[in-house]
Amino acid sequence: MDSSEGAVGSILEWEGVLMENFYQLILNGVLLGGLYATIAMGLSTILGIVKVINLAHGDLMILGSYLSFVFMHWIGVNPFWTFFLVIPAMFFIGFFIQSLILNRVVGKGMEPSLILTFGLSIIIQNSLLLFFTPDSRSLMTPLSVKTIPITEFLNIPLLYLVNFFVALGAIFILHLIFQKTYLGRAIRAASDDEIAAKLMGINTKRIYAFAMGIAMMTAGVAGVLVGMAFLFYPHTGPQYLIIAFGVMVIGGLGSMKGTFIGGLILALSQLIGAQLLGIGNQLLCGYIVLLIVLAIRPQGVFGEG
Amino acid sequence: MREKIHKFRWYILGLLLVGLLTVPVWGSDYVVLLCLLFCLYLALSQMWNLLAGYSGLISLGQQAFIGIGGYTVAVMASYYGMHVWVGSLMGGFFSILLALFMSLFIFRMKGLYFAIGTWVFAEALTIWFGNWKYVNSGMGMFVNPTNPPSITMTYYASLIIGVGAFIFVYVILRSKLGLGLMAMRDNEVVSETMGVEVFRSKLYCFLIGAFVTGTTAGVLYVFQVFIYPYKAFAIDWTVTLVFIVVIGGIGTIEGPVVGTLIFVFLSQWLAEYSSVSLIILGTIAIVVILVAPRGIMGTLHEKIGFEILSPRRE
Repeated sequence: MDSSEGAVGSILEWEGVLMENFYQLILNGVLLGGLYATIAMGLSTILGIVKVINLAHGDLMILGSYLSFVFMHWIGVNPFWTFFLVIPAMFFIGFFIQSLILNRVVGKGMEPSLILTFGLSIIIQNSLLLFFTPDSRSLMTPLSVKTIPITEFLNIPLLYLVNFFVALGAIFILHLIFQKTYLGRAIRAASDDEIAAKLMGINTKRIYAFAMGIAMMTAGVAGVLVGMAFLFYPHTGPQYLIIAFGVMVIGGLGSMKGTFIGGLILALSQLIGAQLLGIGNQLLCGYIVLLIVLAIRPQGVFGEG
Repeated sequence: MREKIHKFRWYILGLLLVGLLTVPVWGSDYVVLLCLLFCLYLALSQMWNLLAGYSGLISLGQQAFIGIGGYTVAVMASYYGMHVWVGSLMGGFFSILLALFMSLFIFRMKGLYFAIGTWVFAEALTIWFGNWKYVNSGMGMFVNPTNPPSITMTYYASLIIGVGAFIFVYVILRSKLGLGLMAMRDNEVVSETMGVEVFRSKLYCFLIGAFVTGTTAGVLYVFQVFIYPYKAFAIDWTVTLVFIVVIGGIGTIEGPVVGTLIFVFLSQWLAEYSSVSLIILGTIAIVVILVAPRGIMGTLHEKIGFEILSPRRE
């Protein structure tokens, strides 16, 4: 009797552990999803407004991580403080890329801009390789190892939590910029009807440059957050570009809510996939979910049409 | 000048072909190597040009077929003792199978989505092969045939593929399929109402592109001897193809030839500065797109009507 009761008890306990494990997985997925949404925001904004898919998005984001790395070691501060330097720097980088290069091919179809941003991506990657060597880097903070315990088996990684809220804040601020400011309204006008916006006295090319600047600010935020959470190398950019693209496709274009939910779905599918099929297949599961969404609902889960 | 070129073009092309055929006789090993690379890259870039320049399918996932072709020849030659050229053709057939499978997903996508969809497939394959014990996971494997071909044999195989791909594309473009493709590229809706089967034409092109790319990759990896997933499925392949076609002139038959020539010489010259070579290639691609968006041959054709082979029938 005793032994069988013990066995039942241990099975229940084991189930309890599995459930806790499951909750932990969901929790991590949701927190990571917020970060993924931040990575995707800039890509989705630029595709919506300038109608350009920025193949250098991931590399520009990693450039943000490296900028933060440089400032961190140069000034000797916590990576959080580097936000104040990285974000303006990324704004100017975005502004000049758009006004000097991409504006020249606006409205000339997709191929030229694809090739231009592809060229930029290669240049950024290999320049980073040249300056920073192929070694892995990270933005270490005291937060990286801290967790908030909830139960015996369930705890919240503090860094993920902070990332999640910074990401939410960035999404909210971007939303405010587009809805409430003159610049935001001009950007939306230029994206809805370029000719009408021009007739109303809006310099659309300048507006596009501002839009790219803003998109790169979000990429800068994402870059610092990613740098604090994971190792990064000069060649990690494309991997995040595909994540950003996945989030954008799953969530559907042009909606902040969609981007956010898309981030959650992609992150959860990656983590659940890693749990079921082994850590090596984490990215693979994300790609498979992305391809399934593309095949079934190319306009995205929340997209219209 | 146009008439002169027109009159002599077959002689010029014939001379070039004779030159290429006799390279192992008069050329040093280094020249043979250069011509070999030229032929293989020519075949790969012609296929990307067929897709991007004529069918409006911008594929960023050609490396999926390169990896499949390379791995097929490696597995067939090393595990089953199959002859390397048969293995290369098998690589082409496996690429067709992969392309058919991919088309189930990505042919519902348009433009940008197609481009990224193909890329996602290639990335997924990188991880798949990186975790697959049968092909030695991420460590890579040697292409280890029982009787490896000499460099001259490999050269002739690549010559057949390079020249074959060139003629193939020329014939396709002058066929009914090609006319349909160009109509489609210029205006998809109108061409469809005129009876062009848009979906089927695009699918044919994608499958043809997959077959030739896979077979070429097989020969390429017989020559390179070693294959591993993070190189075989790397986006770098497509970067190179985009570079070649854009520089040469997208949507022209001669464009990839000029682009490949420039690429092969440039990459040899830049080999000494390997760390900056990709930066220079990227910069050149950007400058060409901004200054002469139609590439070298496209601009020549536009400005002075220079054209050696025309896809148009007289």
